[in-house]
Amino acid sequence: MEAGTSDLTRGTHPSDDRIKLNVGGKLFETTLSTVRSGGPDSLLSALSSRAIDDPNPVFIDRDPEIFSVLLSLLRTNTLPSTARRFSKQELADEALYYGIDAQFKAATSPPPLDGIDASIVATIRPASEGLPSTFTAAADGSVWIAHGGQISNFDWNLGHASTIRTHLDEIDSISRVWPEIAAVGSGSNAGLHFYDFSNGGNVGSVHWTDPSDPRIFKARVKAITGSENSIFAAFDCPHRENCILEVDKTRLQIASQFARQSGNQAKHMTPETLTWVPEIGVLVGSAVTAGAFGYAGYIRLWDPRSGEVVWETNEPGAGRSSRFGDSFACVGVDVEGLTLFKLCSQSGDLAMADMRHLGDDPWVYLKEKNPSLVNIDGVTSSVIHCYKRQVFVGREGDLEVWSRLGEMKNGVEGESEEAEGLYRRNFVDKKENSEKGIIKKIEGGGNRLFISREEVEGIEVWESSHSSGLISVL
Amino acid sequence: MPPFAASNPLPSSPPKPDSNIVTIDVGGQFFQTTKQTLNSAGPKSFFAKISESQFSTPFIDRDPELFSILLSLLRTGNLPSKAKAYDMQDLMSESQFYGIENLLMNSLSSPSQFEPFNLERSVILPLNGRDTPSAIASTRFGAVHVAHGSKITSFDWSLRRKSTFLTQFSAVDSLLALSSSVVAAGATDFSGMQIIDLKRGFVKTTIEWENVTRSGSTVQAIGSSPEYLFTSFESGRRNSNSIMVYDLQSLTPVTEISHNEIFGAEIDSAVPATKLKWVSGYNLLMASGSHSGPSGVSGNIRLWDVRSENVVWELKEKSDCFADVTVSDNLSVIFKVGVHSGEAYFVDLRKLSAGNSWVCLGEEKKVTNGKKEGIGCKVEDHGNQVFCSKGGNVELWSEVIMGNAKNGEGRSEERILKKNLMGRVKDMGGHKITNLAFGGNKMFLTRKDQQCVEVWQSSTREF
Repeated sequence: MEAGTSDLTRGTHPSDDRIKLNVGGKLFETTLSTVRSGGPDSLLSALSSRAIDDPNPVFIDRDPEIFSVLLSLLRTNTLPSTARRFSKQELADEALYYGIDAQFKAATSPPPLDGIDASIVATIRPASEGLPSTFTAAADGSVWIAHGGQISNFDWNLGHASTIRTHLDEIDSISRVWPEIAAVGSGSNAGLHFYDFSNGGNVGSVHWTDPSDPRIFKARVKAITGSENSIFAAFDCPHRENCILEVDKTRLQIASQFARQSGNQAKHMTPETLTWVPEIGVLVGSAVTAGAFGYAGYIRLWDPRSGEVVWETNEPGAGRSSRFGDSFACVGVDVEGLTLFKLCSQSGDLAMADMRHLGDDPWVYLKEKNPSLVNIDGVTSSVIHCYKRQVFVGREGDLEVWSRLGEMKNGVEGESEEAEGLYRRNFVDKKENSEKGIIKKIEGGGNRLFISREEVEGIEVWESSHSSGLISVL
Repeated sequence: MPPFAASNPLPSSPPKPDSNIVTIDVGGQFFQTTKQTLNSAGPKSFFAKISESQFSTPFIDRDPELFSILLSLLRTGNLPSKAKAYDMQDLMSESQFYGIENLLMNSLSSPSQFEPFNLERSVILPLNGRDTPSAIASTRFGAVHVAHGSKITSFDWSLRRKSTFLTQFSAVDSLLALSSSVVAAGATDFSGMQIIDLKRGFVKTTIEWENVTRSGSTVQAIGSSPEYLFTSFESGRRNSNSIMVYDLQSLTPVTEISHNEIFGAEIDSAVPATKLKWVSGYNLLMASGSHSGPSGVSGNIRLWDVRSENVVWELKEKSDCFADVTVSDNLSVIFKVGVHSGEAYFVDLRKLSAGNSWVCLGEEKKVTNGKKEGIGCKVEDHGNQVFCSKGGNVELWSEVIMGNAKNGEGRSEERILKKNLMGRVKDMGGHKITNLAFGGNKMFLTRKDQQCVEVWQSSTREF
C-alpha cells in the first residue's frame, strides 16, 4: 500500500522524540511532532518545549477521556468514533483550551458541497419568532438569521451563539460588515443600521438625505451587499425615488451615491438584489416585478468608482433577448465564475451569460438532457443562488442544482459541444422535502447550503458527506 | 486496563537478538507478540517493518485500543467482539495506516462468507436526489456502484463511505465494475462506452464503435472475463450491431464478434445482445437479446467461443421467450424465466448437443391469453444458486443433489432444482425489483421508485 509506506518512516520513533503526558491521572505517550502539529501557539506545543530535559510526564489537570479523543485527532486529523460520547460543544471548548481548535474545525467541518449529493443535516430554529425574514451565511459555515426584529448568530458548529434585539420591527435585508457587525435594513423603518454582536447594541445608522430635494425622506433599505472596503445599500423612498449608497466600512459613513433613479417604470425600480463582483469591480443589481402582463425587470452592472452603468438589460423589451415574452423571473450571479444566470418566467429555462463578454444578447439557454426532467411549466416563485460553481435553483418548493461536467480528458466532446452541454440538472431534494414550503432564500457558506421557506420556522442546512449514511433495518 | 508504561518502564534487559517475541509500545501501552504474527500481515505492511525494527521497543504514535483490536485480527484473522465499540470507519482508517486493510476486508466481506440461505434484508443505502437507480455493479469484495439519473454513487466494501460522480449520460443503462473505483458505463441513448475513475472523478477514456453508417454507437450491454471486456454496441440508426472484445488491461480492441448489418426485414439479426455473461467453466460468452414485436416476443441466446469467433450453440426463442436469462457455471445450466408464463426453465449445459430443449420448473401452464407474467423479471446467478426476482420478491433456486444409488449418472438423468422465497414476511412484497447484484458476502438489490440500495447479508456477519 503506497500510503502506508510513506508513513513507515515516521511510524516508529527513537525515544528522544517521545513525550509523556499525564492528563488527569492517565498517562499518554506520543511524539513531539504530533503534539506540535497543533501549531506553535497551542498549549500542547508550549508544554512540549518545556519538557525536553524533564523525565517526568507533563501533568495537565483536565479530563483524560476528552484528551484521548483530541490526541487521536492530532494523530490522524479525524475525530474518532469515541468522540460521540461527548457533545460537540464540549469537544470544541476542550480543543480551544488545548489551542487546537483549528484542527478540530478542520476535522468537523463538512466536505466540499456537491449539489448532486447533499442532504439535510439540521434545521436551525431560533427559540422565539422562528420565522426567518432573511439570513446571511459566512465562509466559516456560520449563519446570522433575522427573525422578527432579532438577529441570531449560529456559529460554525451551528450552535446558538447570541441574539440581539434591534429597534426594527422587521428585518428584510442583512449583510455581514465585519465578523461581529451586521448591517440591517427594513421595509418598515427608514435607514441602514449597524449592530454589533459583541455588545449587542447599535453602533451606527446611515440615512439617505438630500437637502436640495424635499422628496427624499424616510428612505428604506431594500438590498445590501459588501465589498472589501465598502457596503452598498439600495435605498427606496416612498416618493418613487431610489439610489445606491456606498458606505465606508471602517467609518460607517456614506462615501458616495450613485444609480439615482425616479419614476414608476419597471426599469426604474429600486434594486432588490445587489451583488459585488470583486474580480471585475462591478456591482450587479436586479429587480423584477410580476404583474397581470407577466414579469418585468432589469439587470444592471455599475462601476461604483464612476457610478456609471457598465451594462444593462431590461425585459421585456430592449430587444436583447432572443426569447421575447419570456422575461426573467429571477437572477443569480456566480461571483467566482463571472457568470450571470436568469430563470425564464414562461418556459422555466435557465440561461447563462459570461460577464466578461456581455453584449447585446449574451444569453445561452441551458438544455435539459434528462428526458424525465423536462416539461417544467412556467415558474411562479423561484430563487437562484450560485455557490461553489454550481447553480442552485428553488422553484416553489423544489430544489435543483445545475452542475458543471468535469472536463473530458481526451477532449473528444470539447469542440462540438457548446457551453450549454456542460451543465447537468439534478434535484438536490426529495419529493417530501419540497412539500414543506416554497423556497424563499438560498445561500451557501462554509460548504453548507442554507434554505429558508415561506411560513416555515427555522432554516434548513444541507451538506454533502462522504459517509454513506447506511440505515440498519434488521 | 493494562499496566501503564510509567509504572513499569522499558524492559531493562537488552532483547536477545534471536528472540521471537516482539514488544511494541503503542501510545504508551505495551504489547507483546511474535514475529510470525507480525509477518502474517504481509511483507510490505507496517508490521513486517516493525518486526525488523532496530529499536529494542519500537514506539508507534497511535491509539493503543485500536491497535489491540487490529493485533487480534492479525492473530486470529477475525475481529474481536470488543471491536463493536468502535465505528467501522475508525477500524478502516487505522487498518489503512498499518497497511492491513485487506485482512480487515477478508474478515468482514469475503466472498467465501456468502450464505445464500441465510441472507436477510439488513441495510439500506440511501441515495440523495430524486432519481431511482437504473443500474448497479458490484466488485468481488462487495463494493457497489449505483447509477441513478446522470450520477454514479460508489460505496466502498464496508458500505460506510461513498462518493458521487456526475456523468455525461442522462441515465446509465449498463454498468460494470472494473475495480472498487473504476467502472465501465454506457447508455442506450448516448454514444460510446466510458471508463470512469469514480474515486478521482474523471472519465479515463471513451470507447466508440465505428459502425458502417457512421452514426453514434450506443451501448446495449457490458460484460467481462478475467482477460476481456465485452461490449454490445448498436449503431445510432439501429441498423447494425456488434459485440466488441477489448483487452481488459489496455482496453485495446481484440476482436469483433457477432457483427450484424441489417438489410430488409430480418428481425433476428436486428436484435442486439442486451446481456453478456462470461461462462468461465466453458470459456464461452453468453449473449442474449430479445425483441418485442406485433407477433410476440422473440429472442436468441448464443454461446460464443471468443477465440475462434464462432457460435458454439444457439437457441432461438419463439414461444415464451426469456424475460431474463443467465448461465450458472457451478450448476452448468442456462436458466431463464419465460416472459409470458413467468415460469423458470433450465437447459443443462452438459447436454447441449443433445435435445437442448428447456425443462420447465413449474406447472408448464399453457399460455394463451398473451399475458406477460414474467415481464421485468431479473435472473442472476451467484455461486451455486440462481436468484430470480418476481415483482417485489426474490426466488432462490438451488439444486438438490440426491446422493443415493447411481451417483453421477443418476444426477445427470434428472436434476432437481428447487426454489425458496427469500426474506421474512415483513420483507415480502414491496416495490418491483429492478436490479440484482452480488459481491462479498452480500446481495444488493434496487427497487422501482426507491432511491436507495437494499443490502441483504447474513446477520451473523453484520458488523
